[in-house]
Amino acid sequence: MSIANSIVSSVPVFGRMFKVESEPELNDINFWPAAMIMASFLWLSVAVLLGIALPLTQMLGLDASLFYTAITAHGAAMAFPYVFQLMMGVGLHRAGGCVGKPVTGWLPAAAFWLMNIGGILFTIAILMGLKISYAVMYPLPVVGVATGQWSMASVIIGFTGIAGILITVILLYPVQVIKMLFFDKEREELVLNRRKLSDPGMLGMAMAAFVLLIMGSPLLIVASAVLLFLYGIVPFAWIAWAADPMVFQFVFYIFAHNLMEAMAIMVVSAVYATLPLYLADGTRKLYSDKMANLALWILLLTSVTSFFHHFFTMFPALPSALSYHGNIMSYGTGIGAAITIFTVTMTIVKHGLRPEAGVMAVLMGFTLYILDGVSAIITSNIAWSFQLHGTMWQAGHTMAVLIAMSMMWMGVLLHHYPVITGRVLDAASGKWFVILFTVGAMGVNWSFLAAGAAGMPRRFASWDQEGWMVYGYLILLFGLCLALSLLIFLINVSKARRIDTGMAASPAE
Amino acid sequence: MLEFIYQSGWGAFTVLLLFQIPFLLVFLTIVFRKAYVNSEPSGITDADVGKWRGRWLTLVVALFLIINLASIKFIPAVYTARAAAGDVAAIDVTVEAQSWSYDMSAYEFEVGKPVRFNAKSLDTVHGFAVYHPDGDVLFTMMLVPGVSESSLIYTFTEPGTYKVRCLEYCGMAHHDMSDEITVTEASS
Ligand SMILES: [Cu+2]
Repeated sequence: MSIANSIVSSVPVFGRMFKVESEPELNDINFWPAAMIMASFLWLSVAVLLGIALPLTQMLGLDASLFYTAITAHGAAMAFPYVFQLMMGVGLHRAGGCVGKPVTGWLPAAAFWLMNIGGILFTIAILMGLKISYAVMYPLPVVGVATGQWSMASVIIGFTGIAGILITVILLYPVQVIKMLFFDKEREELVLNRRKLSDPGMLGMAMAAFVLLIMGSPLLIVASAVLLFLYGIVPFAWIAWAADPMVFQFVFYIFAHNLMEAMAIMVVSAVYATLPLYLADGTRKLYSDKMANLALWILLLTSVTSFFHHFFTMFPALPSALSYHGNIMSYGTGIGAAITIFTVTMTIVKHGLRPEAGVMAVLMGFTLYILDGVSAIITSNIAWSFQLHGTMWQAGHTMAVLIAMSMMWMGVLLHHYPVITGRVLDAASGKWFVILFTVGAMGVNWSFLAAGAAGMPRRFASWDQEGWMVYGYLILLFGLCLALSLLIFLINVSKARRIDTGMAASPAE
Repeated sequence: MLEFIYQSGWGAFTVLLLFQIPFLLVFLTIVFRKAYVNSEPSGITDADVGKWRGRWLTLVVALFLIINLASIKFIPAVYTARAAAGDVAAIDVTVEAQSWSYDMSAYEFEVGKPVRFNAKSLDTVHGFAVYHPDGDVLFTMMLVPGVSESSLIYTFTEPGTYKVRCLEYCGMAHHDMSDEITVTEASS
């Protein structure tokens, strides 16, 4: 029995949801993905409770430090150990089944351990008092030590945790994907649905791996330099270049922005792969692979330099020319999205749809993703950015993109679940999950955006000004709706029924 | 009209809904119809698809061009350059942000007189956002320590008490980092 499988079997409640009982010859593409998916839902459960706690601390008038503790932990858990790890688990299983390569060896194991131990270390640091929000606004961590807000020990533990997460995201996961797609020997029995690199359902996976590796490397170098100093291995003079706030801000956002874009490219690719399998007339193809690939290429190229939109309000420290460039590139990603909308819509129009929970979750996640895209391009216009940057609008965008991607991945997971676990899910509760999740996600998102329009600042422990608390109540209400839908999802997977022998799991992808 | 669209959060929200609602209605109707009402393949030809694709992309590109071109005069770099080249000399104000307060060289301004806010942070990343008395964010600046200055010229058009807030998370008392400036009627 592999380590991954023993981890899953030994975890109470969540272990039962993702335990692998499928055909043993598929174990090599199922064990590590199942462990990652299970861990991601553990983190999600914690993140949801923290998310609900956020408006509550404001309504009950609790201490601001509780709010900042919760917001740091909530954001960090959502972005990395939840969404990224879920994507990594489902993505590696998909990659394995498309090219017939195993997800085994030290790489996936290290990715699993570094992501989760990193997440735990960062959580410990937060509990020790490190409240830096999940977007590291360097030099806040060190200024916080100098002003007595938290201890140096918490910064060292926190940065060690972040390093573990970054190594997984920037190195281990992309290298594992590249290894599977371009190297390694194929094993016939692992091929579930063969795809070539030119297939839209595969292309995005490769693009995302390269984006993470290439765009993330500078941050890894700068963060490693800072860490060497924090450990006392090198003197400050050696790493002063890395501790320059502008250097850190830029490498951080070149990574963080492109991380989101890479995840989006990957999930759009997964939509391109999943949608055709549910077409009513059995076509199993998009209306045009060329248009699908064109959209991926446009998204890839325009998103790389659109990160400048994070810095418009630094003018003139960010030269206008770079602002204009960031503005135009951001709208370029909008063109890529417009082509994707057309491809998805036309495929459905031409071939009809079989309304099953998996594909409906994918399509509702896609709807949320496009709605969020509108809020994103609006703040990527320089003029609007000067009114909206740093308000709840931005928080709503970050949250909506994570929620939309996680919904699409959960849809893709519903599709792959029988193959990974050997169990089938109840269709009716799948439907309720999709409906409640969609309503909750749209409601939360519009509440955040309206709050931002009203000038309510994000990451701000004082909602009871200027009538902003009303948005807090809306966020709590729709947040509870989201939490309920996730509870239904988790109950559904924990009650999945074993596929009878003889009635094999559909090997379709 | 353009003033409302580009100089207030609710203007941005209006444009947001103008994009989102048509998409939502059309896309969800198509998904619902093709999933539950009639999932038969439609007889749409490749020529039809090509025609619709052309129209759709033309519409998107046109809308993107319109909203960006119309926004140009509301870009701070643009109105700052315009004010700097104007007849009335701008009043220079220095703003120093430090956890968790502002130190400004002036707190009172007059309607119609351009003010150049030269702002910088002395410790960590802070924001400098000026709110209209009715609650709209007029502009926000991101202040990264070590960077010489963030700066823009703003000309107030209405008298009143304007709130200043930090919009970049800067630690445990971030929400208390605020100040006020007063704008009076033009003296003559
Ligand atoms: Cu501040």
